[in-house]
Amino acid sequence: MDPIFQHQLLQTRRQFFGHTGLRLGGLALANLMGTTSQAATGTRIQPTLPGFPHFKPKAKALIYVHMSGGPSQLDLWDYKPDLQKYYDQELPKSVRGDQRITTMTSGQSKLAVAPSLFKFAQHGQCGRWVSELLPHTAKVVDDIALIKTVNTTAINHDPACTFVMTGSEIPGRASLGSWLSYGLGSESNDLPAFVCLTPRYPLSSNGQALFSRMWNSGFLPTGHTGVVLRGAGDPVLYLQNPDGLATTERRTMLDALGKLNQQGFNRLGDPEIQTRISQYEMAFRMQSSVPELVDVSKESPATLELYGAEVIKSGSFAHNALMARRLVERGVRVVQIMHRGWDQHGTLPRDIRNQCMDTDQGVGALIQDLKLRGMLNDTLVIWGGEFGRTVYSQGGLSATDYGRDHHPRNFCMWMAGGGVKGGLSIGETDDYSYNIVDAPVPLFDLNATILHCMGIDHEKFTYPSQGLDMRLTGVEPAKVLKQILA
Amino acid sequence: MDRSHLIAASFLIVSGALRAEERLSFNRDIRPIMSDKCFSCHGLDAKHRKGELRLDTPEGAYGKAESGKVAIVPGKIAESELLKRINLAADDDDVMPPVKSHKTLSAAEKATIQKWIEQGASYQKHWAFETPVKAEIPTLPPGIPVRQPMDAFLFQKLQKEGLTPQPETDKESLLRRVTLTLTGFPPTIAEIDAYLADAAPDAYEKAVDRLLASPAYGEQMARPWLDVARYGDTHGLHLDNERSMWLYRDWVVGAFNRNLPFNQFTVEQIAGDMLPNPTPDQLVATGFNRCNVSTSEGGAINEEWIFRYAVDRTTTTVQTWMGLTAGCAVCHDHKFDPLTQKEFYSLYAFFNSTADPAMDGNALVSGPTVQVRTPEQEQKASELDKQRAEAEKRLTEAAAKVVYTDPATIVPPPPVQEQETVLIEDSYPVGAQVKRNSGGEPTWINKADGPVARGERSVKISSAAGVNQDFYDTGAAPFEVPVNARFSLSVYLDPAAPPKAIMLQCNREGWAHRAMWGDPAAIPGWGAPNTGERFIAGPSPEAGKWVRLEVPAEKLGLNAGDKLKGLAFTLDTGTAYFDKLCFLSIGDDAHNPAKSLTAWLQAGEGKDTPGLPPEINAALKAKSDARQPSQLQQLKDYYLARVCSLTQPALGPITAEVEKFKNERAALEASAPVTFTMKDMDKDRESFVMIRGAYDKPGEKVTRNVPAVFPALPQKEKLTRLDLAQWLVSDTHPLTARVAVNRFWQQCFGVGLVKTSGDFGSQGQPPSHPELLDFLAVTFRESGWDVKKLMRTFVTSAAFRQSSAASPELWKRDPENRLLARGPRLRLDAEVVRDNALFVSGLLDRTMGGRGVRPYQPPNIWEPVAYIDSNTAKYKADEGSALYRRSLYTFLKRTAPPPFMANFDGPSREQSCTVRERSNTPMQALQLMNDVQHVEAARALAQRAMTEGGDTPESRITFTYRTVLSRAPKAEEMPIIRAAFDEHLAAYQKAPAEAAKFIRQGASAPKAGLPEPELAAWTLIANLVLNLDETINRN
Repeated sequence: MDPIFQHQLLQTRRQFFGHTGLRLGGLALANLMGTTSQAATGTRIQPTLPGFPHFKPKAKALIYVHMSGGPSQLDLWDYKPDLQKYYDQELPKSVRGDQRITTMTSGQSKLAVAPSLFKFAQHGQCGRWVSELLPHTAKVVDDIALIKTVNTTAINHDPACTFVMTGSEIPGRASLGSWLSYGLGSESNDLPAFVCLTPRYPLSSNGQALFSRMWNSGFLPTGHTGVVLRGAGDPVLYLQNPDGLATTERRTMLDALGKLNQQGFNRLGDPEIQTRISQYEMAFRMQSSVPELVDVSKESPATLELYGAEVIKSGSFAHNALMARRLVERGVRVVQIMHRGWDQHGTLPRDIRNQCMDTDQGVGALIQDLKLRGMLNDTLVIWGGEFGRTVYSQGGLSATDYGRDHHPRNFCMWMAGGGVKGGLSIGETDDYSYNIVDAPVPLFDLNATILHCMGIDHEKFTYPSQGLDMRLTGVEPAKVLKQILA
Repeated sequence: MDRSHLIAASFLIVSGALRAEERLSFNRDIRPIMSDKCFSCHGLDAKHRKGELRLDTPEGAYGKAESGKVAIVPGKIAESELLKRINLAADDDDVMPPVKSHKTLSAAEKATIQKWIEQGASYQKHWAFETPVKAEIPTLPPGIPVRQPMDAFLFQKLQKEGLTPQPETDKESLLRRVTLTLTGFPPTIAEIDAYLADAAPDAYEKAVDRLLASPAYGEQMARPWLDVARYGDTHGLHLDNERSMWLYRDWVVGAFNRNLPFNQFTVEQIAGDMLPNPTPDQLVATGFNRCNVSTSEGGAINEEWIFRYAVDRTTTTVQTWMGLTAGCAVCHDHKFDPLTQKEFYSLYAFFNSTADPAMDGNALVSGPTVQVRTPEQEQKASELDKQRAEAEKRLTEAAAKVVYTDPATIVPPPPVQEQETVLIEDSYPVGAQVKRNSGGEPTWINKADGPVARGERSVKISSAAGVNQDFYDTGAAPFEVPVNARFSLSVYLDPAAPPKAIMLQCNREGWAHRAMWGDPAAIPGWGAPNTGERFIAGPSPEAGKWVRLEVPAEKLGLNAGDKLKGLAFTLDTGTAYFDKLCFLSIGDDAHNPAKSLTAWLQAGEGKDTPGLPPEINAALKAKSDARQPSQLQQLKDYYLARVCSLTQPALGPITAEVEKFKNERAALEASAPVTFTMKDMDKDRESFVMIRGAYDKPGEKVTRNVPAVFPALPQKEKLTRLDLAQWLVSDTHPLTARVAVNRFWQQCFGVGLVKTSGDFGSQGQPPSHPELLDFLAVTFRESGWDVKKLMRTFVTSAAFRQSSAASPELWKRDPENRLLARGPRLRLDAEVVRDNALFVSGLLDRTMGGRGVRPYQPPNIWEPVAYIDSNTAKYKADEGSALYRRSLYTFLKRTAPPPFMANFDGPSREQSCTVRERSNTPMQALQLMNDVQHVEAARALAQRAMTEGGDTPESRITFTYRTVLSRAPKAEEMPIIRAAFDEHLAAYQKAPAEAAKFIRQGASAPKAGLPEPELAAWTLIANLVLNLDETINRN
């Protein structure tokens, strides 16, 4: 067959299938030592959509740190010193209003105010009040834009997690990372556009569920599903040859396979066969490159120290934070770090301390590390959960112990890096951190802002499904948080 | 699918639309443009309509808009405001579509609209809402191979496109293609040989009929349907616990296998519960609309979830049978299709009165449910019934023969004296369901093996630390406490491990009667001290000898006449033997109901006696002078067999047998599988338009109805789901048959005639062959909705039988094969990829149906995501043959689906899915190379090659190829494989230890007696063949 024609034919086929081929889960990490291997030829396997980005992006990559379960804004970021006065008093009706509360506390005889047990101090040039639970994050507050008034519509984990990541409480929509993969593709020909780092099984904390739909492509082509780098077992599924199969024998087998498949292509002409031949070659390369990718031992001692002792343990938060940097460095568009255990209905003081011990150093290190390498300018980092927690105690309240129920009406998230003004704080809540008094930020606005930082006009970013032009940011108008943009 | 794809495909279909002589059609040429670019502001949705202009109806388009201008004047280009506006400069404030809509019209689209207005701007109802009419079958010139009427439609279009069909593919490819299509398995070598040897002209049709009759057909057909039905084995939300729903999955398999007509298939799934006297099977069918995800998350609000379930059921039903996307009408009028928000909620009203709870309780079953015995259980039940009847007969016979003298009839009456009533001696009471805290059966010790005080044996209880006990509170006839009774109990404490304390407990209406001997602090927390709940009867008896203990019943808070339904022997840390528990009392046999029939009859007269069978209770309750002689006999038989302590030694064993069969039968009933069903509440919920789709913002009240654009429902006082179901399959319904036929087409040819098989509305794609779709739809309905016949039509068509090889030009021109100028070539679905490997290796277990099984799964799939207390938090693979079942039966956890499925585009089943993608990724390559399931299958296939494939490498390679690909290797292939084999063999002969490891993957052991290095080399050759592109495609 005429090679030039063959090439054209493949191109046609690719375009027809939305660039199926190599983009789908393409995780082949050929030359990975530090640089992207974006082809010198200029051909990107995972290209951007035509017309994308809509304007010059501030951030090339996104790292989304999802704190699943609903971290308490009252004990971390939303400093309310006056609450001590109201200790164990009923939350005033005027504050609560007729808002719905979950059926876990709606039957409680008293909604007693529980001030935070933790000390807050001012940090950085911006003078941000930060809880003593976050000593490492406190060091980078000048790089962080805190949003105190994020709010969601869901009051339970499953719908809230689904909403925060897909823009809908009902399963089936595309996740944020999948949207970005679809729109912007990957800088790398060897790594997927969207990688999700899952945690180890939580041994000590309460393990609220995660859902694979949080990194699923939904109605978008399946290739935009986040590729999971796993904290235990093979880092990429089915990566290792079985016991007793040497690499040389695998190579022999793949050589024969390639020849036989090529003959099949010659007989049938189906371009998908050519794609499959390349996928086997990629798979083979991944077998050596992925273990290198996840091996952090060659990082400098200073870097490892920055992230803390846990960094060498696969599946730990510190390890995942460092992996996020390594992946972004190699051209991955979106890295999503999942962390569990923030659902503190009871014994909150003990449990939140453990959670912060687990994550704070990694978060602080990630920001510092990105900054040291000059990557923070074009990497956007998001931190947050699916909702916040109530000012009133769930269950018993004592001088040393309390619990908090779900609170969707306001909670804290923060953004840092690419395109975001550091040291900023957006929005204000009332004395009880129960209602928003200034500048509410619905999740749709937050997502619109994330897309904006990545160079995308969220209104123009649609996909036809179910008879609608689906958008990550919903039907009603959402707005970009202009005040947060650098 | 991306946009360029959409446009490319529609261009393909309407190519040549602008040829001058051709008359434009609104549906074919204009609606797709307007629906995408105009209708969101100028369509059905009144609330969001701009400028009082509506372009989806002629009345709207020809009338005056808000501006006073007329958008379209038929035939008059210059007077049509619409043309003026769409032709303004791209940045003009008045240009249409407006700049901020981010939509633009291409020059070609503008030209098409202009031409259409020129030609008179005539409107049509959207094609899919018109009742389909059977078009005349085109006649084609001779030489074009038409085997089915459908070929004539397809090939006529090919002719117009200047194309010709491919010749028929070779027989081997064809048999593999059709076998995979209809059964999801490849043909066996024997089947291929038989087909090749059959020279009859209808050899192929005979093979098709064989496949349609195979049980695997139903399984293969069920898979896509279960995607649509969103079937899963977990609840899908939050805890995502296991749900017992598989009877529904098996119902779908069975329905396809018995070729249940599609109209009945429809009615039974939507409203089987409303059919007159529904069979259990018809109730199981209603599981379709119980497959939706559900929650029991702490804190969730009931009303919100009731609303969501009803919305899910409505949208899924509408999408499944009508191919319409109703989801957007939850919040507002549909912008593109004639479905107003009110109409949506009128449909929703059919599903808004179901009786299932808002919270599923995270339970395996959540009502309403139906329980259905499996065939095996059915057989076991009838065996037990028979055994029980026989035992009862023996009991009656024995009771008739037993020698019994009623003490009340003895003259003079027996003296009043101390008597004993045995409670436990040598066995627990007849029928008692005894449990032991530490698990397992009670430990009876025979005389030869340990201390026994009375009779033949004693019961031993031990505890290394803390409390252990034997207890029962169900199954046995209650004991009545006699007048002035004392308990008597013999115990022997093991001197090597004397318990801190021993305890006797009685259950009257709960466990609240205890006597304890030993350390008063032992067995802590059970009962209030110094009450009958915890009476300290004395110190521990001396260890190492039998001691008989006594305690008055009243000390345990028991009175004469109390009925004890349960007893327990308890101890704290140590070992003790318990023997003969009885009541001692001053007895009067003539007045003791346990010994005198007369006393028993008198005691029971005029009141209910708990624990008796209803007819015995009724007879006993009756006044003595009103009892029939037959009743008296019945009472006497019952008394002697089950009540009288004097006759128990003779009759007790037979009574025990009867009880045993009864209990086994009850246990069998309890273990029969249960599945979720639909049922409406007695009183309907009221339904409202929910403002912007919010569950707590009801607006206008609505009643059940269907959208106005469709044929009306019958006039009735109360419409139900059954009316809706019957309406869907009525002769006049424009969509149901089209949508169904299209989905079955998609299963055979890869892409539906309507590519958007879930959207037949105006945002969906128009059919590639509209006349053919309608012809098939009408024919299908007229055939009695015969699915097998339809599938037979598809696979016996010339189109299906073509070679799938094609010229580069054709691949380029029609990459998706919409025109069918070549045979279908499709990558196998996720399940079929795995099933194929199991099938060719001989590992497959063909058991059908039952609870989902857990095959191999890499570690850490469920664990990182699952809620820690979920019963699907930790994956443990099954053992034995369950590892090799068809993938249809793999347990599907919806928040973390099996990776072998997800990796090959299997949906999560969280919501309805009408079409799967066919991606092509390196992750798939890794799975086929390394997944233990595939490596083990390769070894098993290699064993077959070595034992069934002759003695030369070439003959074994040929065997492997024929088994997997249904064909022998070609001349140019053989040397490649042979060379690889030689290399592998040489390598493994040098490293036998590696060979030994490589052939030991998976749970099954390698076949003994085969040289290991050779088996390893063949395993790798089998792995090679199982990885071929041709293997995972139907070619």
